[in-house]
Amino acid sequence: MRSPVGVNVVLVVAGATLFYTYVGQLVPQKELQPPPKVEITQEMTPVQLAKVGDELARGKGMCLTCHTVGHSGGPLRYPDLAGVAERAKTRVAGLDQLHYFAQSVCQPDAFVVAGFAPGMPAIHRPPIGLSDEELHAVVAWLQSQGGQATITLKEKLPYCGGPG
Amino acid sequence: MNRRALLGIVGAFLLLTAVLRVWVAVNDRAYRAPVYSTQVQPVPREQGIADQQKAAEAKAKAKKYEAPTYRQFPFVGSRVAIWVVAELHLMFAAFVLAVPMFAFIIEVIGYATGDKRYDRLAFEFTKLLSTSFSFTASFGGFLTFMLIALYPAFTNYLMEVFSPTFLPYVLLFFAEAGCLYSYYYGWGKFHPLVHLALGLAINVVGTLIMFIANAWASFMMTPQGISDSGALVDLYAAFDNFTWMPINIHRFIGNIAFGGSVAAAYAAWKFLHAETDEQRAHYDWMGYVGNFVAISAFLPLPFAGYYLAAEIYAYNQALGIMMMGGAFSWLFIIQAVLIGNLFLAANYYLWLGMGRVEGVQAYQKYVKYLLAAIAVCFAVWATPHSLIATTAEIRAMGGTLHPMLGYLGVMSAKNTAVNVLILTTYVSFLFYRRTGKRPTVSWAKLGNLVQFLIFAASTAIVIFYGIYGYFVEAAVRIAFSVPQVLSVLVAMVLMTVIDIFLMRGAHATGETHWGKIPAVSQYVLIFIAVTFTWLMGLMGYVRSGLRQHWHVYGVLVDSSPDAFTPTLGFAANVVSVCVILFFALIAFVFWLASLHDKRDWGTTQSDEPAHGGHAPKRVSAGS
Repeated sequence: MRSPVGVNVVLVVAGATLFYTYVGQLVPQKELQPPPKVEITQEMTPVQLAKVGDELARGKGMCLTCHTVGHSGGPLRYPDLAGVAERAKTRVAGLDQLHYFAQSVCQPDAFVVAGFAPGMPAIHRPPIGLSDEELHAVVAWLQSQGGQATITLKEKLPYCGGPG
Repeated sequence: MNRRALLGIVGAFLLLTAVLRVWVAVNDRAYRAPVYSTQVQPVPREQGIADQQKAAEAKAKAKKYEAPTYRQFPFVGSRVAIWVVAELHLMFAAFVLAVPMFAFIIEVIGYATGDKRYDRLAFEFTKLLSTSFSFTASFGGFLTFMLIALYPAFTNYLMEVFSPTFLPYVLLFFAEAGCLYSYYYGWGKFHPLVHLALGLAINVVGTLIMFIANAWASFMMTPQGISDSGALVDLYAAFDNFTWMPINIHRFIGNIAFGGSVAAAYAAWKFLHAETDEQRAHYDWMGYVGNFVAISAFLPLPFAGYYLAAEIYAYNQALGIMMMGGAFSWLFIIQAVLIGNLFLAANYYLWLGMGRVEGVQAYQKYVKYLLAAIAVCFAVWATPHSLIATTAEIRAMGGTLHPMLGYLGVMSAKNTAVNVLILTTYVSFLFYRRTGKRPTVSWAKLGNLVQFLIFAASTAIVIFYGIYGYFVEAAVRIAFSVPQVLSVLVAMVLMTVIDIFLMRGAHATGETHWGKIPAVSQYVLIFIAVTFTWLMGLMGYVRSGLRQHWHVYGVLVDSSPDAFTPTLGFAANVVSVCVILFFALIAFVFWLASLHDKRDWGTTQSDEPAHGGHAPKRVSAGS
């Protein structure tokens, strides 16, 4: 016995919709929360700041959306950050490590590593919009990539709105 | 003793006196006025109530006005409520914008050729518009009120930026209503050229309305023309932001594909309910035209998508990477399943359609090869870059990348697959077009050879860049999509032009029997419409969800309880709810459109007056 056309049509519409709903459940399910507020106090040591910076680099700062740390194999989209603390000391003539990092995060187009296209946003401006304390933490984290974090909140960050 | 006797006598006397007194009091019937106290006694409860009322009034008067930032929608929350209403508004708007485009073109063909069947077909499409237009406007109003009520601060900000565009928008909406209803009710009542001018006006005005609304939506994703604090500096720049034109183009083409598929679904519905061969022939033809419109628009749609994605990258690299390589990357696997199904279904419908033409055997033998190519491309496109695997499986593979399949999950393979899919579908269409015809021009063999060489060259270019992409840096690889896309577009245009001249005056080797197609083909058309609708809902989600916890990216942060980005599974559920609601409402539109052909109440077939313009009672097949 043939089923009525109306029933068949409903079955096609509902069946296709259910199938696509099911496909939607098969892929990895991840909920993205807004970045949490990070506690940074004046008393934090450079190592403590670097730890907060690590959290920021993976979350609110979005550094690791494009950069890698310890990339192995395959072409890079943007420079790998493993060992960047050493490279930063001599990368640009006239800039010490702190100035290089500060310029890189707040004026990223001022110097672009050879072989890579410009495209990094200034992370102290929206949409990333890190605060001055958070910028210090990110710089401390960069210093810790193959080196020793030395920056504290008492130091002024050049290129990021403060006096250079 | 005497003393006791004396006390007894006195006691008895007092007792007697008391009894007498009680006796008199009980039997006394005389009226005496009550004695009222002159002193007001305080009643604590009443006083308390009065004090409370006074305090409440004083508090209410002293309350300061505070503009709310958010309000909550019951049960499902504000975001889901807005999501569903906005999506339904968009779906109906897309339909209302698309149908007049191909109705107008079909009417032009009818006018130019003098073939009345085209005119009737255009009217049949137009019948779907009036109710859909009302739904579009109703959902638009609903959405506006919901935004004002649930997201007042955000809505206020958009008004601050775009208020100069509101009056033109409203005036254009009035113009659209005037043109559309004149076009519909004036069918056969005006001079054909006046009617065609109305058809053109609907499309021009409708496109302008879409362009204005797209400026608001694209500004939310890629804002510009504003100061650091979000104040408007340049309205033109805010309007013409990075993604405005790409979205205009993408929606323009996407609307046609979507509208064509829904109109084809209407024809399928009518075909399945047809009682005569003539009706079946007509609705088979209508379904074919609707599907042809849908697939023709669908083929260049990925290229418009590339343009949109490129502009998103140009605006903000992190936004682009988040879309293609971050949280939303798995969404494109779902998209691959949807588009793969669309290609499969569209080709299947074409192959079934070949059966209505005599002399189909010459091309049917190629179908299995086309199917194999489509299946392989579909599989490649739907292969994820990294696999969901158990720890043991990941250890066995040496990572989340499969040692062999991992190579298919990258952009080079996917771009190649989608371009070959497009070419294959185009070839299916070319075969369909040629079925039942034999070219008579003297250069037929050469023409066929040149067409084949163009097809082969285009395929070779696509595959070459696909393989070469594995050996170069990402920046170079991304640029390879341009020659791949261009080779496919150029090939399709050249082959079409050659085919038009090649088949001019072609000898018919067999007749086309409209209506002689298996019923399953009509369910395929409905499946295509559902898939297009679901795809539209999904891509609407990624465009909007990409902003994450921002109302306006980088300018106005979302601090509501719904600020998080939901899982893809949750998004799939909401999209499905939108699709089901849309089809429930469009079924109502179909039913209303069908009433047009029904007999008036109380009349019989013999005394039925010819009303409703020149809508056909019985229609002949197309060609």
